[in-house]
Amino acid sequence: MNAVYTAAMLVLAVAVLLPRIDARVALIVNAVGAALLAVVGFATAAHWTTASINLGTWLGFGNSTLRSDGLAGIFLALVGTTGAAVSIALLERRPRPLATTLHALILLAVATVIGIDQAFVFLLAWETITVSLYLLAACDRERPGTLLAAYFGGSLSKIGGACLLAAFALLYGETGSFAFHAWATAGNLGATRSVAFVLLLIGFGSKIGLIPTQAGLPPLYSAAPAATAATVAIAFNAGFYGLWRLCFDTLGPGPTWWGEVVLVLGAISALVGILYAVAIDEIPRILGFSSVEQGGIILLGFGVALLGQSVHRPTLAAAGLLAATLQLIMHGIAKPLAFLAAARVGAATGTGELRPLGGLAPQMPRTAIAFGLAVLSLAAMPPFGGFVSEWFTFEALLQSFRLDSTIARLIMALAAAVLALTAGIGLLAFAKLYGGIFLGRARTLLTGVREPRANLGVAGLTGLALVLGAIAPWEIRWLGRGLHESLGFDPAGSTISFPLVLGPVYKHFSVLSPTWLAIGIPTFMLAAALLVRLLLRPPVRRAPVWLSGTAPDIALVQYTPDSYANPIRVVLSSLYRFRRTLEPIPGSEPQQQLLETEITPAFEAYLYRPLAHAGLRLSDLTRRLQSGRLGTYLLYILVVLIAALALIPALNH
Amino acid sequence: MRAERLQAVRDPGELLGPQLAAVVEDSPQDERRLRVQLGRLDRAVEALLSRGGRLAALFPVTVPDPSLLAAVAFQGELVVLRAPLEGAHEYPALSRATAAALLPERELHDRYGLVPTGHPDLEPIASPDPDSLTRRVVGEQSFVIPYGPIRSGVFESIQYVIETGGEDVLALQVRPFFKHRRLEQRFGGLGFDHAVQVAERVAAIAGVAHATAFCQAVERALAVEPTRRAQRWRVVHAELERIANHLDVAVKLAEDAALSVGVARFAILKEQIQRLRARLCGSRFGRGVVAPGGLAAAPLLEPETVLEALDQFERQLRRDRRLLLGTASFTDRLIGSGTLDRATIDDYAGVGPVARACGVAVDARFERPYGAYVRVGGRIATVDDGDAMGRLRVRFLEIGESLHIIRQAFERLDKYGPELRADLPAGSGAAFGWAEAPMGELLYWVEVEEGRIGTVRISSPSLRDWPLFAASFRGDVLTDFSFIEHSFGLTPAGADR
Amino acid sequence: MIEWIARGLRTGIVTTRYPKRSERASAGFRGRINVLQAEHGRAQLAEVCPTGAIRVADDGRVSLDRGRCILCGLCVAADPDRFAFAAEYETATRRRASLIAGEPETTTLEELRTTLGQRSRTLRRSIHIRHVDAGSDGGEEWEIQALSNPYYDMQRLGFFFTLSPRHADILLVTGAVTEPMRAPLLRTWETMPEPKAVVAAGTDACTGGLASLTDATAGGVDAVLPVDVYIPGSPPSPIALLHGLLLATGVLVYAAAA
Repeated sequence: MNAVYTAAMLVLAVAVLLPRIDARVALIVNAVGAALLAVVGFATAAHWTTASINLGTWLGFGNSTLRSDGLAGIFLALVGTTGAAVSIALLERRPRPLATTLHALILLAVATVIGIDQAFVFLLAWETITVSLYLLAACDRERPGTLLAAYFGGSLSKIGGACLLAAFALLYGETGSFAFHAWATAGNLGATRSVAFVLLLIGFGSKIGLIPTQAGLPPLYSAAPAATAATVAIAFNAGFYGLWRLCFDTLGPGPTWWGEVVLVLGAISALVGILYAVAIDEIPRILGFSSVEQGGIILLGFGVALLGQSVHRPTLAAAGLLAATLQLIMHGIAKPLAFLAAARVGAATGTGELRPLGGLAPQMPRTAIAFGLAVLSLAAMPPFGGFVSEWFTFEALLQSFRLDSTIARLIMALAAAVLALTAGIGLLAFAKLYGGIFLGRARTLLTGVREPRANLGVAGLTGLALVLGAIAPWEIRWLGRGLHESLGFDPAGSTISFPLVLGPVYKHFSVLSPTWLAIGIPTFMLAAALLVRLLLRPPVRRAPVWLSGTAPDIALVQYTPDSYANPIRVVLSSLYRFRRTLEPIPGSEPQQQLLETEITPAFEAYLYRPLAHAGLRLSDLTRRLQSGRLGTYLLYILVVLIAALALIPALNH
Repeated sequence: MRAERLQAVRDPGELLGPQLAAVVEDSPQDERRLRVQLGRLDRAVEALLSRGGRLAALFPVTVPDPSLLAAVAFQGELVVLRAPLEGAHEYPALSRATAAALLPERELHDRYGLVPTGHPDLEPIASPDPDSLTRRVVGEQSFVIPYGPIRSGVFESIQYVIETGGEDVLALQVRPFFKHRRLEQRFGGLGFDHAVQVAERVAAIAGVAHATAFCQAVERALAVEPTRRAQRWRVVHAELERIANHLDVAVKLAEDAALSVGVARFAILKEQIQRLRARLCGSRFGRGVVAPGGLAAAPLLEPETVLEALDQFERQLRRDRRLLLGTASFTDRLIGSGTLDRATIDDYAGVGPVARACGVAVDARFERPYGAYVRVGGRIATVDDGDAMGRLRVRFLEIGESLHIIRQAFERLDKYGPELRADLPAGSGAAFGWAEAPMGELLYWVEVEEGRIGTVRISSPSLRDWPLFAASFRGDVLTDFSFIEHSFGLTPAGADR
Repeated sequence: MIEWIARGLRTGIVTTRYPKRSERASAGFRGRINVLQAEHGRAQLAEVCPTGAIRVADDGRVSLDRGRCILCGLCVAADPDRFAFAAEYETATRRRASLIAGEPETTTLEELRTTLGQRSRTLRRSIHIRHVDAGSDGGEEWEIQALSNPYYDMQRLGFFFTLSPRHADILLVTGAVTEPMRAPLLRTWETMPEPKAVVAAGTDACTGGLASLTDATAGGVDAVLPVDVYIPGSPPSPIALLHGLLLATGVLVYAAAA
């Protein structure tokens, strides 16, 4: 498998250079490379073979190897599959050289992040991702708001990168090596371990939209040129890999407060993410906030895993980690699919907003199906993948009684309650999203809406989203092998009981069978339909919708997406700072009024703006140092020189 | 326009005379007829309204020549301003002086082709098309709910175009005239006995009031007074009708609040009243009682029987009312819903329990007493709440007043001859007749030509109060809609005619 | 809540036993007008009626069209030997022609009670009624609403009001069908699934009533829809409505079994 691995990475590297020549070829090459990567990942996660590439010491700071072990294999498989699908899907519209280069670069960097076993190269690849995301978001310079979004997202990611650098530096200081293996086996790291954990959490959290840096994520999604938002979604997984590898595998087990903090942050992220998804109007930003929500849910499982690890209950850790990984995989498939479908809608209608759309399903049936499956998974509807993973997450949280600490129990219980709330609001948000685009009648006249030809990438992801729930038992078997090393045992044994029935790692705690559901639900539906058709044979007559005896223009009288989600905005108006104005329109006869609503995210108002103000004031103060006069700068150099001359001998004693 | 209480002006003719060249014409009692120029009608009305008058009616008449008639209730009289049309079709709109004229002028424009210049909104109203909806709120965030004409329950047909942003009512348009039966024309050429049948069927639930107003107009046009016996029983039937209507409002409100026990108890009370009316005259709606000149038939029950039944009824009513108003889940829905203030009532010249719930004491029975109300005393029941709860409380107070009036009618008005009807000469004339229907002040203008009815015009309290319904939604949500609607207690049949 | 229950218990059962036991109207109740003596009528007799319900044939035979009669009593007052009020409730018929006083009733309620028992019971226990006001004077609506009160309680007979025509079996129409209400009425009927029945309640709905001589209305529901049961009356009392609805149920049972 080493050869395949090397080939995959080389092909991906070549694909970065090709777009200058021919972007389409580059994408196809990219797809090939990603597919190879996926093969490597599958095989190594299942422990059928091993794969590694020794990079030697030329990259600096010790030996570095790209190794695909169980955990990395899982992520490589995910990134490879979705990367290939997205690459093929990008062929739909004329690919632009810059965007394609960045797409390939992001895939290469993510693949590197996942495989590398050394912190320095990890950081290089990580920053490459950050910079590429920033450049990708700034691609469409002419569109208003993209530069600002790119800056915002980029700067929050930079802060995250800085935290990562700090954490790595600390650990290097303690152990003298950048290798992950050295950190895992280091003996007494003491307080450094916890400080590093916090810094790593912030660092990786900035990529996955963790509170309080969550505001950086949606702007990146909405600024990136339409379909490449799917690439951003793939980069999202890198953050989780970092958490899995470094916080769980390398630094763990830690004190219980690690898990508790992650649970609290995850719960808040999930709730805040979905509350904003339900209240806003632009489609990419809705999906972006949905990613924040999903990130929060994934972290709920991860928090349980950390807790289980810290109290040395491997089964609990397995329950949490398995749930988080399942959720991660589901999101990794559904979110790029959703972005690809949304990009199609945006290209066909020319608008990224929800308000003017409606009734697109008859004109774009394939897109409607693709988007529908993605949305059903994200909304955790049975029998799809999202349902399975959220069930596992719930079940993991319900194991709180196995812990001794009251605080841990309380936090797990509260997290479960927040998850339930999130799931409910999520259903509302996705119903609004899907219904607002595809169902009903068009609210504004849209001409020339045509669907592009079928695309293998989108079709592939659609197919995966369709069967992800049904193939859960096999997926869990494969995941169990992959997580074996991290957990210390293979959880698939106690998860899967009687054919195709799943339990939350604790055997007999509760049962679920998505496979049987996926077989049973369509079977019963078909049987019922056949029964009605053959036995009852009722004559069907169609009559128009009943509207109190009137037959007006349906587009006027149907619910708009805003009004559908209005109750939430009104009930939580203080969180949204929801304002609504009704202004009379001058000169209209008879008198008409204009309705406008405004939402200010509380985070922006109460956290970011004050911080930004403080930062600007601080920089104002420091600007005084930059007087611009040569003499002052020479004085500074003199002062620093004397200080250095004075300090260094003092420190050496 | 705020109605100001100034010192009583002795003569409206004096008030209008010098500036507006108003000429006093022959007027029956309680009316003061003035002729003004068509171009000055709006200023004349404005002058009266600024001194505390209330626009009561606006329609074209044919006696003595085709004119536009505006009736203003002013200081206990009906000041009737007649502006001869002389072939003209345009006139300065009265809507600039008072919002009460907005809807009547739209109807005049559609039905008779009279163009009010300066009217802010002449959108057609008289022949509504249920499918065409015009929006008052622009923006992609709100949508329209066309509620009606066929509504969710056993209700009369009327269409409400509700614009909402989700739950709250941003704008409401009331579109009446789905049930327009051209009954005003139906009167033409009929004899008195046939015509009163039409009057009873304009609005069945206020049939006694309509018949009384019509008969009163005929009697005043021919200067005949109905017999004492008839006046007594007319009052009894009118008050029984009022009680039945107010109980119906309580039933509908309880049904909206899903308070089934309340619905059942008040439906029982209402059924008792209806059955009492049936025993009294053979019809559950008091039909076949009021006829021009008096009564059409003798009552079938003795006063003692009626009083006994009412005593029993009142005992049950007291207990049920106490229980209903003590149910917080019910009253919570009403308090604060559909609040109106005095200024709006005055602007739109509201009448009936809707106005009395805002503290405006208008009641045709006591402003211009007619029939036996001259001899029977009563109080105008008002409260100051202005919301749906206030309208319900006013109705309960009025039920008590009605019972009191019926008892007085039986106890004090017992000296009269046996005649049911006075003879009506085959003469000619034209006059107003009015009655306090359960919804408010009702006016009839009837022209009589040699024993046959000519032009009839009706000023319906339901039509005058519908704009108040549209104006009463301030921050209320869709679920409050039926509470506010039923608390108004208006009837589309009466408004549409 | 206890007080409500206590008051209910003290009031006892007020529900009528109709149709198991016939319900008597109070003395003098204007249920319908009977023609006591049909021969030797003068031509001027027809002018007494405001809706033209009285017809005097050339041979002096007097007939009264109950579909047009608004129960005003002018004919009774003019000729008490010939016309009289009957304090009866059951006035509904299946055919328009049966409304003419003097024509024999084709289906009586007794007949219906036996045939219903022989037919399938599928629809008997749950009939849903959609009411449409096509221009009534408001009185019929009060009487239809009274069907839900404890005195009549139509739910014990299996009748329910429904708001959606898609769930309705019976379309209960009041009023003479004004022009703006014509299209909504037709839409309601089209949105109802088979089997369905149309019941015209009130004289206005049967023939147009007093408003029929102006062209503002269509002159009755049967100008617009096929009517299965006519319930005359101005307005028809709740028992008369129940009688008519039970007749319509007979129609429905026949239609469904066909």
